[in-house]
Amino acid sequence: MRPDSTVHLQDLLTSRIAILDGAMGTTIREYGLDEQGARGQRFADAPKDLLNNGDILSLTQPDTIGDIHKRFLEAGSDIIETNTFSATTLSQAEFFVEDPREQGGRKDPDFFQKILENEFLCTLVEDLNLESSRLAREQADRLTEETGIRRYVAGAIGPLTISLSNAPDHDDPSFRPVTFDQVHDSYLHQARALVEGGCDLLLVETIFDSLNAKAALVAIQKLFEETGVSLPLVISAAVGSGGATLISAQRIEAFWIAVQHVHPLAVGLNCCEGPDVLRPFIAELADSANCFTSCYPNAGLPNPLAPTGFDLEPDDMAAYMAEFAQAGMLNIAGGCCGNTPEHIAAISEALKPHAPRTLPA
Amino acid sequence: MTPETRPLRLSGTDAYVHGPDANFLMIGERTNVAGSPRFRKLIKEGKLEEAIEVARQQVSNGANVIDICFDEGLIDGVAMMTRFLQLLQGEPDVARVPFMIDSSKWEILEAGLKCLQGKGIVNSISLKEGEERFREQARTIRRYGAAVVVMAFDEQGQAATYSDKVRICKRAYRILIDEVHFPPEDIIFDPNILTVATGIPEHDNYAVDFIEATRWIKESLPHARVSGGVSNISFSFRGNNVVREAMHSAFLYHATRAGMDMGIVNAGMLEVYDEIPSDLLEGVEDVILNRRSDATDRLLELAEQFRGQKGKEQEVDLRWREQPVEKRLEHALLKGITEFIETDTEEARLKHGRPLKVIEGPLMDGMSIVGDLFGAGKMFLPQVVKSARVMKKAVAWLTPFMEEEKAANPGQRSAGKVVMATVKGDVHDIGKNIVGVVLSCNGFEVTDLGVMVPCEKILATAREVGADIIGLSGLITPSLDEMMHVASEMERENFTLPLLIGGATTSAAHTAIKIAPGYSGSVVHVLDASRSVPVTTSLLSENQRDEFIAANEARHEKHRLSFSGGDRRKTIPLAEARSNRFEGGWDNYTPPVPEFTGTRTIERQSIRELVSYIDWSPFFHAWELRGVWDPETRQLRSRNPDQAREAARLYSEAWDLIEQIIAGKRFTARGIFGFFPANSDGDDIIAWTSDDRSEERVRMHTLRQQLDKSSGKPHYALADFLSDDRSVPDYLGGFVVGIHGADEWAQELEEKEHDPYRAIMVKALADRCAEAFAELLHHRARVAWGIENPNQFSNEELIKENYQGIRPAPGYPAQPDHTEKPLLFELLGASEATGVTLTESQAMHPGAAVCGLYFSHPGSRYFAINSLQQDQVEDYARRKGITLAACEKWLGPWLGYQP
Repeated sequence: MRPDSTVHLQDLLTSRIAILDGAMGTTIREYGLDEQGARGQRFADAPKDLLNNGDILSLTQPDTIGDIHKRFLEAGSDIIETNTFSATTLSQAEFFVEDPREQGGRKDPDFFQKILENEFLCTLVEDLNLESSRLAREQADRLTEETGIRRYVAGAIGPLTISLSNAPDHDDPSFRPVTFDQVHDSYLHQARALVEGGCDLLLVETIFDSLNAKAALVAIQKLFEETGVSLPLVISAAVGSGGATLISAQRIEAFWIAVQHVHPLAVGLNCCEGPDVLRPFIAELADSANCFTSCYPNAGLPNPLAPTGFDLEPDDMAAYMAEFAQAGMLNIAGGCCGNTPEHIAAISEALKPHAPRTLPA
Repeated sequence: MTPETRPLRLSGTDAYVHGPDANFLMIGERTNVAGSPRFRKLIKEGKLEEAIEVARQQVSNGANVIDICFDEGLIDGVAMMTRFLQLLQGEPDVARVPFMIDSSKWEILEAGLKCLQGKGIVNSISLKEGEERFREQARTIRRYGAAVVVMAFDEQGQAATYSDKVRICKRAYRILIDEVHFPPEDIIFDPNILTVATGIPEHDNYAVDFIEATRWIKESLPHARVSGGVSNISFSFRGNNVVREAMHSAFLYHATRAGMDMGIVNAGMLEVYDEIPSDLLEGVEDVILNRRSDATDRLLELAEQFRGQKGKEQEVDLRWREQPVEKRLEHALLKGITEFIETDTEEARLKHGRPLKVIEGPLMDGMSIVGDLFGAGKMFLPQVVKSARVMKKAVAWLTPFMEEEKAANPGQRSAGKVVMATVKGDVHDIGKNIVGVVLSCNGFEVTDLGVMVPCEKILATAREVGADIIGLSGLITPSLDEMMHVASEMERENFTLPLLIGGATTSAAHTAIKIAPGYSGSVVHVLDASRSVPVTTSLLSENQRDEFIAANEARHEKHRLSFSGGDRRKTIPLAEARSNRFEGGWDNYTPPVPEFTGTRTIERQSIRELVSYIDWSPFFHAWELRGVWDPETRQLRSRNPDQAREAARLYSEAWDLIEQIIAGKRFTARGIFGFFPANSDGDDIIAWTSDDRSEERVRMHTLRQQLDKSSGKPHYALADFLSDDRSVPDYLGGFVVGIHGADEWAQELEEKEHDPYRAIMVKALADRCAEAFAELLHHRARVAWGIENPNQFSNEELIKENYQGIRPAPGYPAQPDHTEKPLLFELLGASEATGVTLTESQAMHPGAAVCGLYFSHPGSRYFAINSLQQDQVEDYARRKGITLAACEKWLGPWLGYQP
């Protein structure tokens, strides 16, 4: 097990704005992989399409994922995220298990219980998280060695395609396809493998649904209590233009109050409709949170006509982030969807002259 | 000095921060089966919708937090707690406040914690079962991040006296702080409010014990809070609400002064302390403060005079019920209230006459507002879904009436069928599911194919179920390519259904530029779920479809124009386009013969008749009032009620003016139409001098589409709609109409009466009359051509252009070349007959004029010419006998190359 990085990270975030990486998905697209390449040997016979299952590329295209990590690190990332955004049994099931709706059934807790117990998925999820951690670890350690600047690996824990807060069936608004315990167990499984894989911190991110996130946080706390290993946490919500989580409609201050008890290293916002939309809400957090803040917005709105699929170019992102830094709102900065290594390089450069946010007394 | 108390921070979807200076925190008790017999009854009878109303009412009565309790022998507490909290998650008005999960059973408390996205309060834990259990429960609550109520209860039982209360609270506090590391500000003590005035002397001091224990806790246990169940205090006076309310108020008055922070209170059942009659207040305070030994007897005596009197009424703000039914429906949709929806819907049905009018009118208007607010980030998904639920109830109420109508009128369509799917390669479906919910709420039959659906399956299903619309969704970027693929497959397989595009990465621009060109049916980008209903309704509504599609096309064209750079659309050489011309099937088709050849002139068309053919929607659009005119109700169906009102006013003023026009003979409508033996010659059209088809009277020229069509669909030119075989007796028609007098009168109004408003109105009306005249004349022409019976279509249907044949005008998309106009005028001798002349830029004068060609072929259709290539323009210039440069000048905007 790696030494606790909490103190080092606290020092880093107090001394300067730490740089996170950009979008794995966007950057993967640059490599022009095809279905066959995504499947590799291991999943050659999988029944469904896998090209958009970016997480399995850690297993089938490890060199590509490693290369992306390397590019972000070279662009200036202090912290890189593992390629595990959807590496849970519940999310991977979408790609590997027949949708019960095909047969006129529905997704319900019985269905998801089978998913949680599915041996293939359980093995897959362990492999994904361990191997993704290893890939990130390898590159981070190499760059640490080469540059003398310590680099960190954040185990990425993403949202799910199912919600604990919203009923998929309006005829039965109390129905939930999945239970809190199932979401909890699925996240516990992922978090355990990420810790085992040697991540320095865990990043619960792109929180659309605060109750899903709460299940992840309860699981992580249990894991820490059980193993005695406690990694720093970063918690990051995705809010819409109204300043509420996109699925569960929780306003940002209410969200912060609901997760504050885990004493995260940092709380922040990511994804969203771009830095301009997110600004008032990161400002709100920066005012109230008694921990560090993180911010890694999308490169604007999706724009299928732009080369990266998003509106903002590296310089645009850098300008926004520099303004946020100028306003004293940032401790960790990076990019979400649409941010390539070039974006991160621009952000990293632009933030150099700026001091990090100081915590409220 | 104790340090300043830290705020207690709680949340639902909104934050609630109870600072040191905050007022008393009211915890609503009506969603507690022990506190409310009505709530208990509703829960036991499974009337959860009404039970939710109880919760909503408490929040609107001012409860900061609501207490939720199902501790009752016959209720499955774990299941009901879970279900009720999940239901409340869908009630934005309620879900905004923090919840207090109330039970004496730990498993129910834990079930509740699993349903709270915010920071709530667990009520309660205690030392009843020993320290071990207490610590374990407190640790679990910590993990979920809730605050906790600790009852003054230990292994020996409930603390009734001051000293027991203090002892137990102190012990619990130390365990929580020192061992569990519970944040002190998240600890709330309940030192037990016990019933006084029971007649048992040991109980007389209970209120004082509570108040004094509260004082001690607040002074001695930093940051901890004190709460309690207030109605316990007055149980002795059950049935006497006046006394009970006075007791609650007086007790709270004294307890809060001692530091009580919050309490479980029926927010609607509290008298204002200052308004308690003085004799009652004295009696009540004697009891609460245990001021005299006969206090209970005295209060019992005093209570007699209040017995049976009703206490304070529950206050529900029902002022919105006083508004007109349309506003009430809107309010119910906006707030997601189903309580009155059936009554209101029925009232609206009776008022509007037909069920569909209620849906397309007030209900759709309400949903449009919801859509606007949602789009502006002022409403959130759960609220929209709630609105959809209200909509569904209303539609459900109306459905039997619509079915009745349908039975009486079997040709009529009811709702449409929508097939929707998240495209192949994409697994995201939350947004799509919401669209599905919203659409099915609106009476559409939705077939949801789920996620990662291959194109073949979408199309096969659409065929199988007879879909009216296909909807595609996707969240990730590669889905865009898949959507383009589906669109091109639809084209290849000759689908004509509208295609809806939605999902986070999709955009109106991408849809216009990349998806729509691949499919000749309508492709509409749907911004969000709330827009899905107006879009789908418009696309399937006989009345609104054409205008909607036209507006959509216009938007697409705008996007395409503003999209400079990037890849241009692929075109093909003229020769190739010609080899793929539209085939009229001439071998098996005999063109209709008109009842006359040559021209007929209409010297003075009745204006009153024209007015009945007016399509009013464009009239309002000219005034920037958006919406669709409903000729039956004479209302503009607009998202904006102000616009609709304005439209109604404008309409009545327009009629005033029409009456003046008719009475004062202000307008003269003159027109001419005619038929000529004609054939095509390549891409030209020859109108012959006579039926022996040997001498050309006029040769007209048409342009051919050159954009690549992977589908194999024809590359149209207007010439294709005539036979190129001179032995086939085919005919071409043409017409010119004009409204004289408007320009002069407008000028007069402007200059002499300084009334620009009416001047504009006069011109706008003249334009509408010219269009109406063209429509009317086309109808007469079709009758003369034998392809229509005189009464086959209503005026409305004519406006909608449901008939066979087209009347394209030079300068419009199918033939954008204005210089063909003089040839048409020459053919008809139009200027002499109608007084309509052409300016040198080929504009017609007067401005209120319309001209065009008539084609009768059943396959004739409107299409658009664009991206013309140099090979065609050179050929066209040669055919017209003008220079390439002149030709390029006239066709500038339609050229697909840089001249």
